[in-house]
Amino acid sequence: MAGLKDDAQWIVLMGFIVSFSLFFIAIVLNQSTVVGQTTAEAVLEFPKNDLREVRDVVIQSAYMNDEGGLFNNKTNVQNDIRTLSLSRQNAVVSFSNTTSGSFTYGEIHYNNGVMAYSESWTSH
Amino acid sequence: MVNDRGQLYTIEGIAAGLIMLLTAFIVVNSTSVYTPGDTHISDWQLEVLGGDALNMMNTAPNITIGKSPLQTIVETDDAGKSFQPMFLSLINNKTGPDRDHIQYMANVTYRESGGAVNSTFLSDSGRQLYGGEHAVRVSDWVIVEKRFPDCHFSSCSGKHAVLVEVLLWRD
Repeated sequence: MAGLKDDAQWIVLMGFIVSFSLFFIAIVLNQSTVVGQTTAEAVLEFPKNDLREVRDVVIQSAYMNDEGGLFNNKTNVQNDIRTLSLSRQNAVVSFSNTTSGSFTYGEIHYNNGVMAYSESWTSH
Repeated sequence: MVNDRGQLYTIEGIAAGLIMLLTAFIVVNSTSVYTPGDTHISDWQLEVLGGDALNMMNTAPNITIGKSPLQTIVETDDAGKSFQPMFLSLINNKTGPDRDHIQYMANVTYRESGGAVNSTFLSDSGRQLYGGEHAVRVSDWVIVEKRFPDCHFSSCSGKHAVLVEVLLWRD
């Protein structure tokens, strides 16, 4: 170690410590934006409201009827639901229902590429 | 008399000062970091608020079999101009006496008799949407008894399911 003096080792060491801690703080900051982004996407992509509304209107349509073919209410409304779901909410909605006696049975399938939902229901 | 001794100490002093400033800045900032993703919180609140308001308007008074206000509004193309005061009073309510400043634009989307999808204007809050606003979309299904302008046969006047779509933004 000719010509080298070794009396500033604490300063060098502190320099290392400060630079490493800066590095780690930068990593933490960097990760926090990624976490916020993915959380936001997950919350906003989940179609909770769309699903509730479409379930509600499908069940309403199950109790309608075609009124002797003059207005075809039930057929029209159910086609409206399928078409508008696909074109305005990017969701494939498929459903069917039958009535026997005083009970109405039905099933609903919903898929918008982010989540899929299936349900069988029976009126009480 | 200026001399050039102690230059390394001066540089070291400046570097140390910068490092201390930077550290203090990062430490203070890291406790209140507002990431771009955090905007989802206010977006989500606006979505819930708008969805609730539409749901309330789509409920018949006292759960009777009568028509809900939203049904009547869509069937008459908002002839009574009642959508705006009702919706604005629902979404701009706050706990204090002051009001919020949420603006909206509402459309009705329906299926034409040929199968195509069309939208008509329903109502807005009088504020134009220029494209810079950060709007969220809420929608609600309504079953209405109405003949839409694409079809003039009386057989088209049965019941239809339409989608009331509202863009909401805070101004």
